Amino acid sequence: MNGAGADGRPRALIVEDEDTLRELIVVTLGEAFACIEATDGDTALALLRESPPDLMLLDVAMPGLSGIDVLREMRADPVLKEVPVCVVSAWQSPGDVAKALEAGADRFLAKPFRVDELASIARSLVERRR
Amino acid sequence: MRRLSLVGRVALLASVVALVVGVIVASALVAILSLRHSEARESQAKDVTVATLRVQELAVEIQSSLRGYVLSSRNQRFLTSLRDQRDELPGALAGLNRLVADDPAQLRRAHAAAEELRGYLQDYVDNVIVIARISPAVAAGPASGDEDRYRTQQIRNTLDLILATENTRSQHRAVHTRAVARTAEIIGIVGLAGSALLVLLFGAWVAHGVARPLRQTAEAATDVARGDLSVRLDEGGVGEVGALVSAFNSMTRSLEVSRRELLLQNERLRESEQHKRDLISMVSHELRTPLSAVLGFTSLLLERDFPGDEQRRYLEIVDTQARRLATLAGDFLDVQLLEGGGFELELAPFDLVELAREQTRLFFSHSESHGLVLDVPDEPVIVNGDRDRLAQVVGNLLSNAIKYSPDGGEVRVVVGERGGRAIFSVSDSGLGIPPEDRERVFDKFFRGAAKTTTVGGTGLGLAVAREIVTTHGGTIDVESTPGHGSTFTFEVPLSLTPAVSA
Repeated sequence: MNGAGADGRPRALIVEDEDTLRELIVVTLGEAFACIEATDGDTALALLRESPPDLMLLDVAMPGLSGIDVLREMRADPVLKEVPVCVVSAWQSPGDVAKALEAGADRFLAKPFRVDELASIARSLVERRR
Repeated sequence: MRRLSLVGRVALLASVVALVVGVIVASALVAILSLRHSEARESQAKDVTVATLRVQELAVEIQSSLRGYVLSSRNQRFLTSLRDQRDELPGALAGLNRLVADDPAQLRRAHAAAEELRGYLQDYVDNVIVIARISPAVAAGPASGDEDRYRTQQIRNTLDLILATENTRSQHRAVHTRAVARTAEIIGIVGLAGSALLVLLFGAWVAHGVARPLRQTAEAATDVARGDLSVRLDEGGVGEVGALVSAFNSMTRSLEVSRRELLLQNERLRESEQHKRDLISMVSHELRTPLSAVLGFTSLLLERDFPGDEQRRYLEIVDTQARRLATLAGDFLDVQLLEGGGFELELAPFDLVELAREQTRLFFSHSESHGLVLDVPDEPVIVNGDRDRLAQVVGNLLSNAIKYSPDGGEVRVVVGERGGRAIFSVSDSGLGIPPEDRERVFDKFFRGAAKTTTVGGTGLGLAVAREIVTTHGGTIDVESTPGHGSTFTFEVPLSLTPAVSA
């Protein structure tokens, strides 16, 4: 899957520990994006450093490194600093949202989300970058 | 030493003071009596002296009358006075004898004087009167005069001896009286000083033994009123005061204990409130994941055309996630039942071994990542219980064991009998539970360290499990070695009748 960018579609890294939700995001974005999947923060960072994607969808509560930790590390890395990130989380109190935005998220999407909203956010983040 | 009560001590001290005052008064009385007696003796001595002097005077008068009779050439007038004086003499002598009757030495002297006087009168006076009638010159001669002087001198000497003795005795008595008065004085002064000292000591003791502890108690009570319940008084006071002090201490002690308990309860309540807030937040989070899947996939299924097999797969996901939501709803329903006062059980005999096989099959058919060791006897273990509810307990223990064991970890399920009870245990190979959390894992909403991990849960499963087991008349507990895993074991009574179902 890592070489999916070759067909011209932008590459999206989906970081989510819940299998069903990861599958939902992949199915939703599958037509417009080449999706790469990670189930935890450490795998996500490894994949990011291997080849920066055009977009990242990031869960917060995960085993090991949390989404916020991943985001902070990314924003400290000059290569990964510009990758657009949408945090997708079930924790959505004003404090949780602020923490995600402070850590460097471009957008915040609360669970449960609408699939068309997810698709439009993904599209706008990629277009803005171009 | 036996400890006297305060009242006993006060009574004892008052008795001592009363005794001392009594002794002083008695001594004074004795001294007064002694003085009065001395006075009586003194006045008697005066009477003896007066009586003796009177006898002496009579003797002198008799001598003068006789001499007058002789020298006046038998003037009858002198003889008449002599006869009068002579008549008066026995009365005076009898008076003297009466006065010295209780004193043998003086009485002896008085008798001697009387004898000498009788001798003087009979042997000399009477003879001189007879001679004077015959020969006045002889009667007035020097021989007669010598005899007279000799005899009267002898009488005077005896009487002087009585006077001197009486005088000496009187002086002795005066010395004795002074000594008695002095002793009485000393007893009075020492007694008064002693009483005053005793009263002072009594006052000091009351101040030390009663007033001071009372004041300290009052101060401590003020501290307690201000809220300082740690204040304690020195114990060991006298009798009732000591009892008051120890009652005060036990009062503050129990107040402190109850306040600590109240604070603890308050803290627990606050924690429980926090748990509830956490629960609401966690519930909404727990609901959001399956809800996202249900909403997302139905939305995709409605908007897009998927091939048949994909369509079926997404519908299966929707089905599973909807069931997950239903389970969550069930948990909350159980919590309401817990708070409403327990479950209604439908009791019937059934085989716990069969239940163990069924539940492990259900849980481990999905989870290839965990190993199962099922250690059950060949014979059935029949219990009289609500099968669905006990299945819920077993399911909860199994899902926890899988949830908290790492991938590749082993879950061990053991069923057996012990002392008329069925035993069911589930061991995991997880992180274990710290000792301080072991009691509380069965509390509602308590999730221990799991709260900070991403392991989902409502913190209700074990609370519901405990309620079900105890309603069956059983017990549930946990043993754990941090780092090596935990073993949850429940016991329920064995059935007395065999299982009816196949």
